[in-house]
Amino acid sequence: MSEQEIREGMLLAVWDEPPLDFDPDTLIRRVEQKKSRRRALVAVGVATAMIVVASFALPGLLPRDREDQLASEGPAPSASVRPSEPDDKRAQRIGDLLSERLMTMRPELADVYATTRSGHPYSGPTSTTRAPGDPDISGHVLFTDQIGPTALRVEVGKLGFGKSGFCFGALACRDLQQKDGSVVTEAEFTDGGPDIVRAESVRVFQDGLVVRMGSFSYNPATGAGLRQTVPLRVSVLTTLVTDNAIPWR
Amino acid sequence: MRKADEQGFREFAAANAASLRRTAYLFCGDWHTAEDLMQSSLMKMYMAWKRIKDLDNLIAYARKVLLRTWLDEKRRPWRRAEQRDGELPDAADLTVDPDTTSAKLWARELVHTALLQVPPRQRAVLVLRYFEDLSVAEVAVAMGCSEGTVKSQTARGLATLRTIVEKLDNSSGRVAS
Repeated sequence: MSEQEIREGMLLAVWDEPPLDFDPDTLIRRVEQKKSRRRALVAVGVATAMIVVASFALPGLLPRDREDQLASEGPAPSASVRPSEPDDKRAQRIGDLLSERLMTMRPELADVYATTRSGHPYSGPTSTTRAPGDPDISGHVLFTDQIGPTALRVEVGKLGFGKSGFCFGALACRDLQQKDGSVVTEAEFTDGGPDIVRAESVRVFQDGLVVRMGSFSYNPATGAGLRQTVPLRVSVLTTLVTDNAIPWR
Repeated sequence: MRKADEQGFREFAAANAASLRRTAYLFCGDWHTAEDLMQSSLMKMYMAWKRIKDLDNLIAYARKVLLRTWLDEKRRPWRRAEQRDGELPDAADLTVDPDTTSAKLWARELVHTALLQVPPRQRAVLVLRYFEDLSVAEVAVAMGCSEGTVKSQTARGLATLRTIVEKLDNSSGRVAS
């Protein structure tokens, strides 16, 4: 087979060529569409990369004090953030000292311990807000006497205190002026019965801080354990709230 | 792209599309694939038109792009592979001389079938040398290799083609000239 025959054969091979339906404008349109698609894809890719980089880089770039400032610009001034670690430690310290004092005063009590914490007693551990009037520190001093387990209720904070309301219906209600200017108001209540079913002692400091302790004819920590009268009288509560070794403030 | 450049490309594409498709057909052996290869090559040229529009021999550049596009397409593992499992029935064309038509069909079939069995780069050299009538130097430019390589590939390609044609002739009972 000569080169000439190959040449002729190739020309014959395209002899029955189908008609060409080619439009340059269609081709140009396709290229332009492809280019715009590619541009859009690149733009999306770049934007995604920038978002990813920014999301990783921004927290590191923000100065520490700026973060604190942002944190202090919280949702509302009335709703404070979750108590800080020192508040928790102070609450624990107050609870421990109350337990110690109570054991010293009443050695017949058993299993004395406190469950004081910062914040409202009924707020959950993850609660981050505190309503106005809620205590800074609250909890119970638990103990077991000859009847059974029960507790004293403790609240510390800017609770607000009105003597007339507090003393209403009390068997006895009196003020005790303290050397530091604070006033202790103590009262016992029978709620119409023959026995004292509630005893409370409230110390109001000059700056408005209120320390309030209560003894009830039931266990305030559980709501159960009903008994005839309070486990501890108001004098014990007053001794505790006037103990200046306890860091109320 | 400026209107003038776009018009220049439009004219170039319209003038050379058919020629490029024929070359692509001899490369791949299928008119549909040939059309795709031609269009892909022209699209690549359009995207680079600003840079290439002033070249001396634009059609040589177009052949180079076509060859690269075809070789790239062949290298892709997911490339389309047409399954040919049947023969199209021959339709009688009464308007032409039967003897001439028969000779044309035989030559075309022989060259085309044999050409498709030649290795791709040797096939490309044969098509560019004998179909496009390019010189050795022009084929070397189009293939991006030396002239010596073109010569050796041409010799090997011719030998392979002749061997295959001989086998096909023997199997069909005809004698090659």
